Amino acid sequence: MATRTLTGTGSTELPSGPATPADGEPAHLTPADRVGLLRAMLMMRAVESRAMNLYRQGKVPGSFYDGFGQEAVSVGAAWAMAAADRLCVLHRDLGAHMVRGVGPAAILSQYMGRAAGITNGRDGNVHFGDRRAGCVGMTSMLPDMMLVATGMAMAFKLRSEARCALTWFGDGSTSRGDFHEAMNWAGVQKLPVVFVLENNQFAYSTPTHLQYAVDPVERAAGYGFPGLRVDGNDVEAVFDAVRAARERAIAGGGPTLIEAVTMRMHGHGAHDDMKYVPKALVEEWRKKDPIDRQSARVAALGHDVDQLRADVRTEVEQATEVALAGPMPDPETATDRVFHPRDAPEILLDDGVAPWSGFHA
Amino acid sequence: MSEMTYLRAISDGLRTEMRSDERVLLMGEDIGVFGGAFKVTDGFFDEFGAARVMDTPLAESAIIGTAIGAAVVGMRPVCEMQFADFIACGFDQLVNTAAKMYYRQDLPVNITVRLPSGGGFSGGPFHSQNPEAWFMHAPGIKVVAPSTAEDAKGLIIAAMRDPNPVVFMEHKHLYRRVKGEVPEGSYETPFKARVAREGDDLVVITYGAMVHTVLEATADLAGASVMVLDLRSLVPLDEQAILDAVRHCSKVVIVDEANYTCAAGAQVAALIAEHAFEDLDGPVTRVASPDCPIPFSPPLEAAVLPSVDRVREACRQLLEY
Amino acid sequence: MPQMGVSVAEGTVVEWRKQPGDWVDADEAIGEVSTDKIDTEIPAPASGRVVEILVQVGVTVDCGVTLARIATGGDRSASAAPSPPASAAPSPPAPAAHPAAPPPAAHPAAPPPAAHAPSGSRAADRSNGARGHAARRYSPVVLRIAEEHDIELEAIEGTGRDGRVRKQDVMAWVQKHGGARPGAAGAPDEPILHSESPYRPGAGGSNLHGPYVAPEGRPLSRMRAMIGEHMHRSLQTAATCTTWIEVDMSRIEIARKQLAITALPLISRCAIGALMEFPHVNAWLENDAHVVHEQVNLGIAVDLGDDGLIVPVVRGAQDLSPEGLSRRIRDLARRARARQLTPDDVRGGTFTITNPGQFGSVMATPVISLPQVAILDVEAIVKRPVVVTDQFGEDAIAIRPMVILGLSWDHRAIDGALAARFLANVKKRIESYEA
Repeated sequence: MATRTLTGTGSTELPSGPATPADGEPAHLTPADRVGLLRAMLMMRAVESRAMNLYRQGKVPGSFYDGFGQEAVSVGAAWAMAAADRLCVLHRDLGAHMVRGVGPAAILSQYMGRAAGITNGRDGNVHFGDRRAGCVGMTSMLPDMMLVATGMAMAFKLRSEARCALTWFGDGSTSRGDFHEAMNWAGVQKLPVVFVLENNQFAYSTPTHLQYAVDPVERAAGYGFPGLRVDGNDVEAVFDAVRAARERAIAGGGPTLIEAVTMRMHGHGAHDDMKYVPKALVEEWRKKDPIDRQSARVAALGHDVDQLRADVRTEVEQATEVALAGPMPDPETATDRVFHPRDAPEILLDDGVAPWSGFHA
Repeated sequence: MSEMTYLRAISDGLRTEMRSDERVLLMGEDIGVFGGAFKVTDGFFDEFGAARVMDTPLAESAIIGTAIGAAVVGMRPVCEMQFADFIACGFDQLVNTAAKMYYRQDLPVNITVRLPSGGGFSGGPFHSQNPEAWFMHAPGIKVVAPSTAEDAKGLIIAAMRDPNPVVFMEHKHLYRRVKGEVPEGSYETPFKARVAREGDDLVVITYGAMVHTVLEATADLAGASVMVLDLRSLVPLDEQAILDAVRHCSKVVIVDEANYTCAAGAQVAALIAEHAFEDLDGPVTRVASPDCPIPFSPPLEAAVLPSVDRVREACRQLLEY
Repeated sequence: MPQMGVSVAEGTVVEWRKQPGDWVDADEAIGEVSTDKIDTEIPAPASGRVVEILVQVGVTVDCGVTLARIATGGDRSASAAPSPPASAAPSPPAPAAHPAAPPPAAHPAAPPPAAHAPSGSRAADRSNGARGHAARRYSPVVLRIAEEHDIELEAIEGTGRDGRVRKQDVMAWVQKHGGARPGAAGAPDEPILHSESPYRPGAGGSNLHGPYVAPEGRPLSRMRAMIGEHMHRSLQTAATCTTWIEVDMSRIEIARKQLAITALPLISRCAIGALMEFPHVNAWLENDAHVVHEQVNLGIAVDLGDDGLIVPVVRGAQDLSPEGLSRRIRDLARRARARQLTPDDVRGGTFTITNPGQFGSVMATPVISLPQVAILDVEAIVKRPVVVTDQFGEDAIAIRPMVILGLSWDHRAIDGALAARFLANVKKRIESYEA
């Protein structure tokens, strides 16, 4: 069951659309959307599980970071975004890349530092964005991308375009100045941007009670726009909250802060045994697994979930073979592409895939 | 051609480009209605409107960060830091997000960051710095520093058209003190060094406001023929022009207004040591501000910033060698 | 003379305990001095061999004056023959070279190069000893040029600080000797001195082998054609005569070294002085009118190699010092060769100097650049035996750097007597030149 909490701007303007009942038909999702949401989450988990094995086999250099247990946040939010919208994606949001059209072979190549990776080996793990999918990759200085997304929205508004920008960031990021600068700027200029706070309870080992005294969702009021909390393990609830926030943004209503409450079920990285997290807490969240929840809904629609899982597994295995067969980058290219040549054609973000049925009606 | 100040030349460059390219957007604190702390954008608000001459919140990281976002969706933002010193608050967005974006994800970031820099007017430790070397050490950022009105206009236009992040060092001391003939209309100054004066016996390599200090210091050195090389661009650094000048003169003085350690001139000195060793007829000599903050009180500040006398003495010493 | 205590200003040498050629250890007494406060021994600042005593016993000098030189490096057992000194003074470094104390903030400014000389001599032995240069140190560019031209650097006198051989010194040697070793066969015994000229020889000559094939002609360049046309017209129009005079350049040679410039601007300065006294030479002949100019716009012929020559003009030359003239001439010559002259740079000359001396020619008949009425030709400065008369009226033969100056003048405007008086005036100015 999704929880929806509107916190106090004094504004009566509620995000439109009804809540998504767990056992009823959601207002904005067709059965195909609901299967698609599950498939994207299954793909994310399968790719990350496969990558974790490759890491343990020494094929993924550096460390490895995943979003196990948080799949609903990136998949649900990305599902609500139009092709012309632009996304700044965080490191636990692999599902967003997949929804926008990035294939598993490119992602696995990316993890392994291969030439065919999204960054051609220039950056690792989930530090990537495929510009052809309208996505900007994160920097490690979180939440720098809040400002970049705000700037995109600023350009959209300046040019009177019906487009929206969205970015994810974590609970730890809310302590940094860029969180404030972005929230304030977006509020002042009333920009079409959606901020998704992915509260997974821990910033590395630091629990939220050491991070902030007031839940950041409450702060939205201070910046003059609504903040609301959703169940981050319910992909349809996340989708619906973002869909409504996007509609509001496109209509000129300004930004929205959405806090998706979830749990980081793995360590910060593959090197982290997470011993600082109480076992009971992990067990409690394991019962709320977002894939299990969506699987039950899809099964209730009469869809063969086992077959879906098998298809996903096969696709990931094939992608793994492709990725492993790909060459490492040529060391000669290490210093290429520091500056874009002056006379080369302009490169911008392209449109990504927007699978939601609402865009194809 | 018409004669204008260095400051007006920057304005003229911005205005010229804004008229011809609607992607150009100015962002900064107090640049709109007020026309900017130094009045570079005076009158722009009336001509181009609030949307394109944007008065922003007092948030340097946000100015740079949002400019990046706007750039990757097709705008060409020009950010004004009210003083170059304040870029420290936007440093992360510039060196981590903007500088590395193209390398990491094939996505160029066409932003120009204007930094009113330099001392000489009792601005004190937070309004006098020359932070250009910070950005020389962050691959992916170009750094230019005009010394004349003509170059100020040509370089600001070239910076706006360059698809990469460009840090434009505009020296406050030159704003109203330097005047020159500036061509009408649109033109670009290449990111290359310029020989400010020909000479044979010694070359002084410098940039920005120090070009004028050096020209004065070396105008009459007992008949010595002193070349002055104005770098104009620090990234890319015109290595060929530097090495050619050293080969010709064999003695070199390098002048920075910035603090001594790891200044742009230190890189020039290293380049010469590495590639022109066999052309040297004397020690590579540097003049720069010492490694201390720029003090406020006039005698203290004068003791720190490279003066005409210090430059002249350094040249004289080396010429005698 | 060491500074001992704040108030001591001078001292008198009482005794030298070491003589040139003696070895002295660091801190060993090298001599004794007497001040108005104390008499004291002077401990040597470094180990080495005494090269030179500069202040004799009984002489009083200010603190800071160098008393003697010690060649550091080497060892006690080595030959006593003094090697060129590494300038170690038995006192704090002589202040003469840089009297101005650097400002407190001068840390990043140029470390005075001289300060390195004494302490760095051991490194010098290491780096240059293998090349056989003993205690002399050479900069990278000097070593490179020396190697390229197979030059023994010891033979070259240095004009840099403490006699250091500079790039200019070795380049001057190469220009004089053409790159052979000093004293080697083929080097002229008495090299021709010459004032450095803006002229530069063109590209090297041909290297013909095999049967002779008549080369194809090629049309004259526009510049060549125009020069020809002007010169021919001048000779057809003007009544050109040439007068010569021989001039002793001793004082100019001294002055140009003092000012670190070439002889040309100094000769120009003397010629300008004479023009101010004989304004009819600084004139145009136009439409049967003799137009006398107050201002001297001095044309300087600049050779452009195969392309021809051009005569840029130093405007208002009467107001310029020799250094100023030097700068302007250099600038014009450089821009002429870089083809960067503007039309204004070559217009309005009132008098011209041509200076082809570097090839060793001693006499020429220059062609007047119309509408000017005269042109001065400066030839090679050559050492010649001349008869000089001393203060007691005794004649003697002396070696003097001599030059022949030629003045081509237009007999339509002036006469031979004026030309001769003008030249004599130039000669007087050159021979009595005071820097």
